[in-house]
Amino acid sequence: MKFRGGHNILLSGRPEGVVRIMPEPEVLYIPLRSRRFDFSEVVVKDGQRVSNGDTLAKDPDNYGVPLLGPRAGVVRLNKDENHIVLEEVTRHEEHVDMSKEELSHIERRMGDAGIKRYRLNALGAWQFFYDAHTGALPDPLGTPQAIIVSTLSLEPFLARGDVQLYKRLSSFTRGLEQLQSLLEYQPIYLVLPDIKSDFANLIRNHIRGHAWVKMVEIPLTYPYDDFSILARNLGLKRSEGPIWAVRTEGVLAVDRALTLSKPCLVRIVSIGGTGVSSPTHIKVMPGYPIQMIRDKYVFEPVARMINGGILTGELLGTETLGLDTECRGITILPELKDREFLGFIRPGWDRSCYAACYLSSLRKSFSERFTTGVRGEGRPCISCSFCEEVCPAGITPHLIHKYLYRDLIEEVEQNRVDLCIECGLCSFVCPSKLDLMQQFIEAKRLIEQEKEEIRREQERQEKLHQEELARKSGEETSE
Amino acid sequence: MKRLLKIIEAVRPTFEQGGKLRLFKPVFGALEHFFFAPSTTTIGAPHVRDPLDLKRLMSMVIISVVPAVLAAFYFFGLRFFLMIIVSYAAGLTVEAIFAMVRKEGINEGFFVTGILFPLILPPGVPLWMVGLGVAFGVFMGKELFGGTGRNIFNPALVGRCFLALAYPKAMSASWFEPGSGLTGRLFEYFSVDPSAADAVTVATPLVQAKSGQMCSISHLFLGSVSGSAGETSAILIILGGVFLLFTRVASWRTVVSILGSFIVLTGALIGGGAVKCGMPGVFGPVIWHLFAGGLLFGAFFMATDPVTSPTTNAGKWLYGITIGSITVLIRNFTGYVEGVTFAILLGNIVAPILDEIVIGIRIRRLRSEG
Repeated sequence: MKFRGGHNILLSGRPEGVVRIMPEPEVLYIPLRSRRFDFSEVVVKDGQRVSNGDTLAKDPDNYGVPLLGPRAGVVRLNKDENHIVLEEVTRHEEHVDMSKEELSHIERRMGDAGIKRYRLNALGAWQFFYDAHTGALPDPLGTPQAIIVSTLSLEPFLARGDVQLYKRLSSFTRGLEQLQSLLEYQPIYLVLPDIKSDFANLIRNHIRGHAWVKMVEIPLTYPYDDFSILARNLGLKRSEGPIWAVRTEGVLAVDRALTLSKPCLVRIVSIGGTGVSSPTHIKVMPGYPIQMIRDKYVFEPVARMINGGILTGELLGTETLGLDTECRGITILPELKDREFLGFIRPGWDRSCYAACYLSSLRKSFSERFTTGVRGEGRPCISCSFCEEVCPAGITPHLIHKYLYRDLIEEVEQNRVDLCIECGLCSFVCPSKLDLMQQFIEAKRLIEQEKEEIRREQERQEKLHQEELARKSGEETSE
Repeated sequence: MKRLLKIIEAVRPTFEQGGKLRLFKPVFGALEHFFFAPSTTTIGAPHVRDPLDLKRLMSMVIISVVPAVLAAFYFFGLRFFLMIIVSYAAGLTVEAIFAMVRKEGINEGFFVTGILFPLILPPGVPLWMVGLGVAFGVFMGKELFGGTGRNIFNPALVGRCFLALAYPKAMSASWFEPGSGLTGRLFEYFSVDPSAADAVTVATPLVQAKSGQMCSISHLFLGSVSGSAGETSAILIILGGVFLLFTRVASWRTVVSILGSFIVLTGALIGGGAVKCGMPGVFGPVIWHLFAGGLLFGAFFMATDPVTSPTTNAGKWLYGITIGSITVLIRNFTGYVEGVTFAILLGNIVAPILDEIVIGIRIRRLRSEG
């Protein structure tokens, strides 16, 4: 496979490869919104006692993906806006929230594969699936042309595949088999950093005889693990049907849901970054109070908490009290405190730069202690083309930026801004400190909106036309 | 440092909206940000940024011409120092006025133009001409197009081109013999009056070559020949240029394609007998031509200006080949002995077209993606 662009940002505070168990919480604050989901349809009542695995809410726009209660407790709905609060949290034996009657009804309607998919959705495993091109939740009843399974998360810092797989390799291979049973003959691409390593051989031995798993080796450079980049490099065209993509935790969840019929309630989340005292992985459940994580791991008094990686993660504001259901990692970054005196003349032994403009380029690669500073003034683009070099999608960010500046939306579309995977590298390297990624996200939204409007207008016209026809034929018959 | 920051904070209101000196806000901002990095932080993803900013990027260019500047002091005396000061003063005035009118910050791009401009002038040129040339270059070559990042032509070359066309006599009479010995002209203020009849002018190697005299390659290599202030010493230019390529501020593709096409075409012309040369063989004269005149300086420091050169890699190759070939043609087949200035300006003209072509092809290829 041929990759282009990409750049590894070496942020200090890489999580170590062990999973720590956090103390059981007494209260859970489960956010109703996450990156992809908006669980607007709450199905529990205030004060209701639920046990673990019960459905608390659903997202009606995303095929009714459920929000499962990770622990037993008493529901409080009005305690905090945008959260479901679970009080008196205790741990119960999981029970499956599916009645036999309902299952047989579904089985009659959808067959064996259908019931498996229904179970995936109901047991919370479906939310680990992505559409490779759009990143949205795929249709659980659709047929993919392929499934991409990635064991990598290259963005600093997200829960790593090798940590999640530790001691769970048999579950992983079982999960792969379960995935295969959802398909007919479509291939599964298993993405690994090294397909000749002992680890890969172990997997190969486990899945021996399953010719449908194709191993794919990719270099460890951010963002080559991005699903749309992988799909493009594997030659999978968007027009030939959806591509499902799933990460390590997703395969493990599939195994849990289909083999053990148990809901997926806990996840492994990484906690790393410059502001963390002992960067590591933790095993937590959605709704885990952020304050408890903060007290235990963050030593910087003024630090920014980021839900996700350093490049694409979202700000974790004080209004969010618990981890959301999609959290894969928390990155903590100290805020910029002092203004540097004569910063641009300094030799820069401790700063790692994309271009070799600091003394540190004579040094071996090292992890920099980043802060939130922009580190320069905003200036017009000078076409240094660093963004073009670093872009993994093969588009020309600085050119699109100039078109956007002049409001030439058509040219922006022609230059395929829709191929942008929002990895954030262009904004990162820009010496003029332009916020390219945010501009592209905005442009993509605008273009989508425009297309939607055109589509609606066409539909309206068609409808009018049909009505006209119907009226005419009606007139004719009446005559 | 803390005290300085306090002073800056104390005088800030005078330059803000409603202050007495609000017109001079760009000047204040430039000074403030010279001493202290800005305190802005990222608002969303990506949450961290690369340490490189435009100040550092431009400083890299200035560092890379330091060897050439030192060589200019050694060969042509302390008068060159005055030329730099005049160049900065005149250029900065234009830049600051435009920044005030536009209400934008003063752009770092000028600091490069200000040092490059005296380096490509004959060392004996009158100081008022230095000021006029740089002001013209910055005004016509940059500000009228909208400032740094939006210009089509390299401002330093526009200034030089203007002087060469407006004052041909003064420009061609301002060469003089370079210093030699241990200290050279390091401690001399050496000047010539170009209007005087007995000016101590010495023709540049390329002029001499027209009449069949060719100085030795080692002189060109070390720089002890007559010529523009910064362009004489090939070794020091290569030293600075390679540093610039290493930092990735300048593109190696541009440099390699300019020098490569120049070598190939000159070699072909000399080997084919189309160009007569006072030196035997092919290899020797080609190297001689490579080191003579402003070719190396132009290729490393002028043509690589990211704003005025193409942005695409394929475009850079074509751009370099255009500049290299036009230089050869001007040097050998026209009345001008030195063609790099014109070649790079012509290259600047074709750069957007080259980009357009390459991007057109890329768009066609991208259409079927994804």
